Amino acid sequence: MTITTQDLRGMITAISATISVNISMLNTLDSQLGDGDHGTTISAGFAAAAEQIAAADSPFDVLRLTGMTLMNRMGGSSGALFGTLFVQAAMSVKEAETVSLKQFAALWQAGGDGVMKRGKAAPGDKTMVDALSPAVTALHQAAEKGETVEQALQAAAAAAEQGAKNTAEMTARYGRAQYVGERAIGHVDAGAQSVALMFSAMYNYWKGK
Amino acid sequence: MAPRTKKLINQPATILSDMLEGFAAAYPDIVRLTDTGLIVRAQPKATGKVGLVIGNGSGHEPAMIGLVGQGLFDVNIPGEIFAAPGPGRILEGIKAADRGAGVLVCVSHHAGDLMNAEMALELCGMEGIEAVEMVVLYDDISSAPKGREAERRGTAGLFFTWKMLGAFAETDATLAQCKAMAEKIRDNTRTLSVAITPGTNPVSGAVMFQLPDDEIEVGMGVHGEIGQGRQKLVSADQTIDIMLPPVLEDLPFRAGDEVLVFLNNSGSMTQMELFILYRRVAQRLQEAGIQVYKTYIGPYATTQEMAGFALSLCRVDDELKTLWDAPAIGANVRIVQP
Repeated sequence: MTITTQDLRGMITAISATISVNISMLNTLDSQLGDGDHGTTISAGFAAAAEQIAAADSPFDVLRLTGMTLMNRMGGSSGALFGTLFVQAAMSVKEAETVSLKQFAALWQAGGDGVMKRGKAAPGDKTMVDALSPAVTALHQAAEKGETVEQALQAAAAAAEQGAKNTAEMTARYGRAQYVGERAIGHVDAGAQSVALMFSAMYNYWKGK
Repeated sequence: MAPRTKKLINQPATILSDMLEGFAAAYPDIVRLTDTGLIVRAQPKATGKVGLVIGNGSGHEPAMIGLVGQGLFDVNIPGEIFAAPGPGRILEGIKAADRGAGVLVCVSHHAGDLMNAEMALELCGMEGIEAVEMVVLYDDISSAPKGREAERRGTAGLFFTWKMLGAFAETDATLAQCKAMAEKIRDNTRTLSVAITPGTNPVSGAVMFQLPDDEIEVGMGVHGEIGQGRQKLVSADQTIDIMLPPVLEDLPFRAGDEVLVFLNNSGSMTQMELFILYRRVAQRLQEAGIQVYKTYIGPYATTQEMAGFALSLCRVDDELKTLWDAPAIGANVRIVQP
């Protein structure tokens, strides 16, 4: 079973829809540690991306256009990091017409590596990486076990959600939240929660296909 | 979430464009708003001089739109509220500032500002634009300990850099010399901020942090980043007595040094309060044998209606004194000698 360009467009559209109904939840999370607008910003970014990709005709195009749109529409750290996630993911499927589950796992791996390099963040730093990294692991495991895309996305969504929850126990070493120190404990990172919503949206897209 | 604070805006989605249009309409002899949302000088500087650009989150006005003009920036790339512009927009700004002698991209050290500037420089590399350099500036002593200065945030004290680097880039200085000058000013600047009441995010309407009525936060960042310590609200003199010693100690500023002193209004301080505060600064510096060369007291980087101020000192030599005294004519920052 492969993931087509149309599927990827559908997933980006689903992410946009899911993020847009969670704007105030993400803003509230961000207000604990940042300036309280992450939901508004990322929702605007994905809405713009969903428009931009309407005519994208390869996996590379869908992911690259999404990344470039997020970077330039959102700006800030979150634009840089979410944009890098998709641009680097795109680079790993440059020639592909469709994407296998194995390639799908690899593209998120490449995206996550790009995020860590750009942001100099590692797992445990209370960032989006803490939701992304377990999701990538879940995708790799599902691909190895020969599971379906739906099973893989279900596992990735659950892993990302758990990863986001775990950020509540961490202190931040990165971005604005780092200046909060111990006071960050108890609050989920808004970027990590957005990643969890992304994987949840992609799972729901596939389930509803 | 606290109720939305009273603000006279039209709608959150048009805050940036409405502000920029009004700003450009108000100061047509100083700035121009481009089709792509850049603020550029109404009259570009002469060819053969280094261009200075900065991208930054909006919501901190007059920073940085008000600092475009003669003796200051060539181009500002205003981002969304409290979010640095993306790399594509910074690249446009770099191109707009190019007068044939290279462009220095100035970065106030925050994660988003730095990452987007780095990506913009990568885009320059892909497009074959070679005469571009980046300089990262920081000054806030509360955000990382001494010895780890490069991890510190860029806050109010960067004003010294913009003013004097801006004057320097009006001369025939090269790109490398401009970068070195920015670093020299940075390395002689130290800042500490205090917040007494929070501002609100104009997009979400949410109060940016909570602070009890009888407390202040020393070390507060320009986006409500929590600082090193909450303390009881005390008098103006006592507040300076808390803030000045760590600033002096950090560089350190010593007897015999000459300094510029800047008190930045974080948003809703009154000039009255700032003058009361400066009175104590002047007393304490005199006691310490540190001579004040010039002062600047007023808003530069604000955080909406946050009440508070930043105390910033820059040690100057003859070269920097000359640069400070050179004319700066921005829409909201005007320094001319009597």
